[in-house]
Amino acid sequence: MPDGAAEAPPAAPARARRKPSLRPWLRALHRDVGYFAVGLTIVYATSGLAVNHLKDWDPNFKQINRTHQLALPLASDDRALAKAALQALAVHEEPREVYRASDSQLDLVFDKRTFHIDSKSGVVHEEGQAARPLLRIANWLHLNRGKKAWTYIADFYAIFLLFLAISGLFMIPGKKGLLGRGAIVALLGAAVPIAYVVLSGGP
Amino acid sequence: MNHLRPEFEQALARRRFIQAAASGTVVLALGGVYVLSDELTREAQAQTRGDGRPRLPPGQRVIQALRPMGGEPGDPSPGAYRLRVYGEVEAPFELGFAELLALAQSEQALDVHCVTTWSVLGAKWKGVRVADLAEKAKLKKSARFVIFEAAHGYTSNLALRDALKPTVMVAHQLNGAPLPRAHGAPVRAVAPDFYFWKSAKWLTGIRFSNHDEPGYWETRGYNNHADPWREERYA
Repeated sequence: MPDGAAEAPPAAPARARRKPSLRPWLRALHRDVGYFAVGLTIVYATSGLAVNHLKDWDPNFKQINRTHQLALPLASDDRALAKAALQALAVHEEPREVYRASDSQLDLVFDKRTFHIDSKSGVVHEEGQAARPLLRIANWLHLNRGKKAWTYIADFYAIFLLFLAISGLFMIPGKKGLLGRGAIVALLGAAVPIAYVVLSGGP
Repeated sequence: MNHLRPEFEQALARRRFIQAAASGTVVLALGGVYVLSDELTREAQAQTRGDGRPRLPPGQRVIQALRPMGGEPGDPSPGAYRLRVYGEVEAPFELGFAELLALAQSEQALDVHCVTTWSVLGAKWKGVRVADLAEKAKLKKSARFVIFEAAHGYTSNLALRDALKPTVMVAHQLNGAPLPRAHGAPVRAVAPDFYFWKSAKWLTGIRFSNHDEPGYWETRGYNNHADPWREERYA
């Protein structure tokens, strides 16, 4: 009511206080750990697919396996025979080694292949293997053939994966939290190895 | 409702037919390959070895040629090759490739069984028996195990009684040709009654030991004994 004094302005509505949440932090951390792990994930996943099917193919090397025939007669001197064979086969690199393995066999050894020359029949068996460049490195890392510090890197990567898996459960609340669709999908995922162990009889 | 022009419909129908025919052909071809290879497996399953065991261990399938199963290759050069035979022996020695070839040679058709479930029957190996190398090195009575040593620190282990069987050898030829690089050139071990990882490729040493030393795969979850007839694949 007017009483010679100015009316007090209406009180500002109280600001709704947001409940403190770890979720934004979790999402940010999940994202950054995910970025960090993406390279290693590609290495491990690609190599995992490759080495999982070892019995179907060689994931590290392409095999070289060819047969050639040299024109007869052949030179009786090993060096001369090697030179003539390389010329006939249009090989321009120098062999690492020319080795007389037996009376009838002369081996020309190169970095990636060997020519086994039958010095009586002139048949040349060329065999060797050429590395699959990236896959071989990925497999080497995956199988930890290098050992040493890679063991620790692989341990950290495994811990990162655990963090990604667990933090992934809590990143987005959903209507029912973990009790809704998330629980069903997570249980389905866990059921796969459990069912496999039960059905296969386990170790 | 949209209608395609007749020539378009005809082309689509033809495409569907070709796709169906191609799919059918692939399925039939794969089926044929499967049936053919299974025929080899069935034949082997019906056979029995001299020791009374079935020729094909359980869970194995016969294929026609050895598969390269990877591993870090060693030096394939026969000129640089050295095989060291040592450990619990009176007379340790080293051999070059030519010296190995000069020893009594053994040629045997042997079945080999990979832990990844393939088997190759009757692969022809040529080389020197481990028993002959042991005799040359004069084994001490304390020797109980054999450790095959190979390039890049790979090892595999066998009990002495298993390693001295006449079928266990160091081989430099496979099927009448020099051992290919993919299979461990110039020399590998062959221990046919055990899963094939025991047969170390790129062999550099045979060490006789008085105690067991699980090797590369044995310390990575694979079975220490590795008998295919007992399906001793994993630890």
